[in-house]
Amino acid sequence: MAGENPMEQFAVRPLIEAPLFELGGHPIYFTNQALLMVLVTLLSASFLTLVVKPGRLVPTRSQSVAEISYKFVSDMIHSTTGSDGLRFFPFVFTLFIFVLCCNFFGMIPGGFTVTSQIAVTFALAGLVMLTVIFVGFAKHGIGFLKLFVPHAPWYLLILLIPIEFISFMTRPISLSVRLFANMLAGHTMLAVFAGFVVSLGAAGGLLSGLAIAPLALMVGIFMLELLVAFLQAYVFAVLTCIYLNEALHLHDQH
Amino acid sequence: MAPDPDRLRDLGSRLDKLQAGQDARYKKPPPSGLGIAGRFATELVAALFVGGGLGWGIDWLLGRFLFKTFPVFMLVFVVLGAVAGILNVMRAAKDINAEIARARSNEEK
Repeated sequence: MAGENPMEQFAVRPLIEAPLFELGGHPIYFTNQALLMVLVTLLSASFLTLVVKPGRLVPTRSQSVAEISYKFVSDMIHSTTGSDGLRFFPFVFTLFIFVLCCNFFGMIPGGFTVTSQIAVTFALAGLVMLTVIFVGFAKHGIGFLKLFVPHAPWYLLILLIPIEFISFMTRPISLSVRLFANMLAGHTMLAVFAGFVVSLGAAGGLLSGLAIAPLALMVGIFMLELLVAFLQAYVFAVLTCIYLNEALHLHDQH
Repeated sequence: MAPDPDRLRDLGSRLDKLQAGQDARYKKPPPSGLGIAGRFATELVAALFVGGGLGWGIDWLLGRFLFKTFPVFMLVFVVLGAVAGILNVMRAAKDINAEIARARSNEEK
């Protein structure tokens, strides 16, 4: 993994030479990224359904993993959107588990981090924003547009409505860039330090002994990255809840 | 025998206290300095790009169907984008302050 180029780990390659099918003239390949996403979906879905199947009153360890993550997400939705947001539990829970598992799968050395691809994170954020817009219009009809109209005299509204609109449109970007940038930065840093270890170790003599320093640093960064992997999945899910809350309740406190 | 209301109330308040302790355990730590910096930077830059992009799109539409306005709307919307970015940062700062205050009040309990 510690090649010369620390960015090489992010390369998306087709795993099967022949394209699966064509979409509007573009060949669609089955890439390493697609494989990882299929694996994450299959493993997390089957784990979470299989461990709760026995339905023990006193949960086993694996059953309580599923139960704690259920409780964690439902508490998060409840505290940000109130009880009527719980209808979106399946959506938020799926997003949270998907992002969390993708982040953790990326921590396996030699693996591939799906969430370090802006295409993936932007697709997820776009899905969130489309849901928010759909829910807002379904619940409030045309009144959802009041979200863009703050309390102000009419001559200021000419300026404020475009500003509110732009502010709303930045959400998918900041949501996706935050996840993508955190994962990209962490994994690049790990690869750079791994490169230090290899080149110092190969230098021979006293320098080889110095290789222990970046190695020790790498252990620390790795643990920090584990925390970041969880925290970013959490932030993604919480922001989804906050945006859903706005679509549901149109709070006019700003 | 009917349950004693005082004892029930006592039980209720003890349960509430336990619940509050549980909630405090779930709360995440206050955000780090680096996290805050990254958040502000993305909010500012993203709003600029969105503003510029929207203005460019309006220019393109008008230029296609009415008359050439490029780059008037793009310039106006880049400025509006900068304003929206600052608005976003103010809102983010408000959220972060609330988060830190909540983390503090949990510590004191």
